[in-house]
Amino acid sequence: MNTFAFPAGSAPTSVHNGRRQLINVRQRWLLEAKLRTLWILSVFVLVSLCALARITYLGATGLSPHRDSLAGGLIPDRGEIVDRNGVPLARDFRTYSLWFNPKAMTDGSPLIHSPAEVADGLLRIFPDLDREEVIAKLASGKAGYLRRSILPEDANKVHALGEPALEYPRETTRFYPQGSMAAHVLGYVDSYGKGQVGMEQAFDEQLKSMDGRTNPSVLSIDFRVQSALEDELNKGMSLSRAKGAAGVVLDAETGEVLALASLPAFDPNHVVPGDMMVSDAQARAGEVPHGFNRVTNQVYELGSTFKPITVAAALDAGTITSLGRRWPSSPLHVAGFTIHDSHQMGASMNVPETLIHSSNVVTAQIADELGGERLKQTMQDLGMNERPYIELPARGFPLWPSGKWPRLRTMTVSYGHGIAVTPLHLASAYAALVNGGIWRPATLRKLDPSDVPAGRRVFKASTSARIRQLLRMIVSYGTGRKADAPGFRVGGKTGSAEKPGVGGYRRHSLIATFAAAFPMDKPRYVVIAMMDEPQGTEATSFQRTAAWNSAPVISRVVPRIGPLLGIMPDETRDIDISDLKPLVPGGASE
Amino acid sequence: MNLTSDRVRSIGWISVLLICGALTIGLTLRVNAVKSNVHDTEKRIMWVQQEIDFLQTEFQTRSNQQALRQINDLEFGYKAPIAAQYIEGERQLAALGVSAGPGAPPPIRYANADVPQSADTGSSLLAMVSPVAGATAAAIADAVPSAPTGRDPERAELARDAAALGKRLARIQVAEAGQQ
Repeated sequence: MNTFAFPAGSAPTSVHNGRRQLINVRQRWLLEAKLRTLWILSVFVLVSLCALARITYLGATGLSPHRDSLAGGLIPDRGEIVDRNGVPLARDFRTYSLWFNPKAMTDGSPLIHSPAEVADGLLRIFPDLDREEVIAKLASGKAGYLRRSILPEDANKVHALGEPALEYPRETTRFYPQGSMAAHVLGYVDSYGKGQVGMEQAFDEQLKSMDGRTNPSVLSIDFRVQSALEDELNKGMSLSRAKGAAGVVLDAETGEVLALASLPAFDPNHVVPGDMMVSDAQARAGEVPHGFNRVTNQVYELGSTFKPITVAAALDAGTITSLGRRWPSSPLHVAGFTIHDSHQMGASMNVPETLIHSSNVVTAQIADELGGERLKQTMQDLGMNERPYIELPARGFPLWPSGKWPRLRTMTVSYGHGIAVTPLHLASAYAALVNGGIWRPATLRKLDPSDVPAGRRVFKASTSARIRQLLRMIVSYGTGRKADAPGFRVGGKTGSAEKPGVGGYRRHSLIATFAAAFPMDKPRYVVIAMMDEPQGTEATSFQRTAAWNSAPVISRVVPRIGPLLGIMPDETRDIDISDLKPLVPGGASE
Repeated sequence: MNLTSDRVRSIGWISVLLICGALTIGLTLRVNAVKSNVHDTEKRIMWVQQEIDFLQTEFQTRSNQQALRQINDLEFGYKAPIAAQYIEGERQLAALGVSAGPGAPPPIRYANADVPQSADTGSSLLAMVSPVAGATAAAIADAVPSAPTGRDPERAELARDAAALGKRLARIQVAEAGQQ
């Protein structure tokens, strides 16, 4: 304890006062000590509370903001697009670019060597560069790209040139590993980072959102099927020297598009202005840019492929009660117009013969009995009066005859003239024809079995069953023989329509289409192949029609895609057409 | 120096505080060192991940369908298999072993003779030496069965299944022979 010495000679009377003072001082000090202790305690409590709060925060969130920022580095600026099996079709990719920065050298000329010498050096690395253009860029003294997307080894070679003004920054670009495959489905990303043309445009918002960046956008496309379709269409196009080709593979039960091809295509990795627009002269000549989607955007008169739809409508309405009933097949004169067939196949035909030999005359008579109103209603139910249902931004509006259809219009529409739709319309309609009569919208999103739309009933199930038999007969005995793929039970219909030109139809410019489905005993997939203006070549026996141009494509595509899609060929199995066989001469003899 | 107990206590408190402070600073430094290690590792992970993405993209690009098609057209010329090349199920497989027709000679079958195993090695795997363990493959193969005893019932089941498959195939052959 503290001890205090009294000064010598102090009066005893002051002792009492001094002691009181001492007690006061002691109390003050004690109070101060207590206060200080309290302060220290409160600081400790505060620190402990902070620590507790931090621990609770870390425990609750599991992440510190620091970690978030690093993880964010791995998330791309734009989400990935993958096919139905998870194969990337579009992804962000960091590549080197060759950038000219004249300010890299602070004094004097931006280049050590002369522009011509540097250009020659660059030309040795990139032989396809335009020398004059590079010299002009280097001499201008303006910063700019000399080349985008260069390889790392080329970047090293540029470094070896020893020019500080030639920089090669690593930049994020949109990359399509499969090149031009499915270009029309995917589209591309422009220099402003905005998606254009295909799903890049349709999914633009989603791909930029946090959810879209972390989870890839899954398409219904199967890249193996897409590749097979494009490959065979390309072959078919070069064999027939067609101007273009289009094809689609559609799941008949769900409406998912497994492949969608429009040729000639473009490379989304290197889009040039010519891919997206054509000159006026080319446009007048009927040319379309490569970026134009022939499957969803271009409307065509698809010709005889409409005949099964007409027959189905008539079967459904009950105007055809017997498939064996015969109609005269001599040319038909209606309202000053003559409907005739390309080949005369006897004086009269029944329904299977009509489809097998693709008779315009008999189909027109069937439609005439059915009536314009009912045919129009069927076409409407199949979505032929509106843009095709698909996520793509480029969707063509059909040339749809509105109002009440006069007799001649009904007759021409019945065999696919006077109405122009996209090949995708046709694919969805064929899906409804063969899947039991349900029309479903086409989609490019992969659907979960629970998300498959209910669709709407267009045909009775019995009608669909009959049409399956008839489509198979067309391939077995008729114009579609070249589309047959042994073991895959292909059924389908040819369609060769003359293209409209100045002053009527152009007899030698055809749109050759084949609409097929397989396997016909339980149809799962619809395949459409279309050739734009095929030329009669030796490979196609100098024929321009679908039977010689589009049908062979189907016969090559189906064996390639069938096993990939789980349809194994089986020559011991087929749809039962025994009740219809006696109605066709070839069938009766078997 | 006059060291009162109060002063000693103060010095004690101060030294405790100093030690605690030093420990705290030491701990903070250690924590920060670990943190920056973690940060560096994360950065390396990120870099490696980016490299993986880069390489994946490169592989996908080099092996894209168009490139494969061109190689196939140029080098191999493979075509999609035709219907006859597919076998669907055991029944079709079994049918391949059936004679082509009544009275036809039975299909040629390849067989190999059972070579008696030599007594000392018990297996022809003697020549194979594992590059990792340095032991012969035969020695490893001998050592393995003793360890996992739980797999024996599984193997026995597999053998039983195989035997049952043989029986089923035999039945199919008999049934189809009856039809012919």
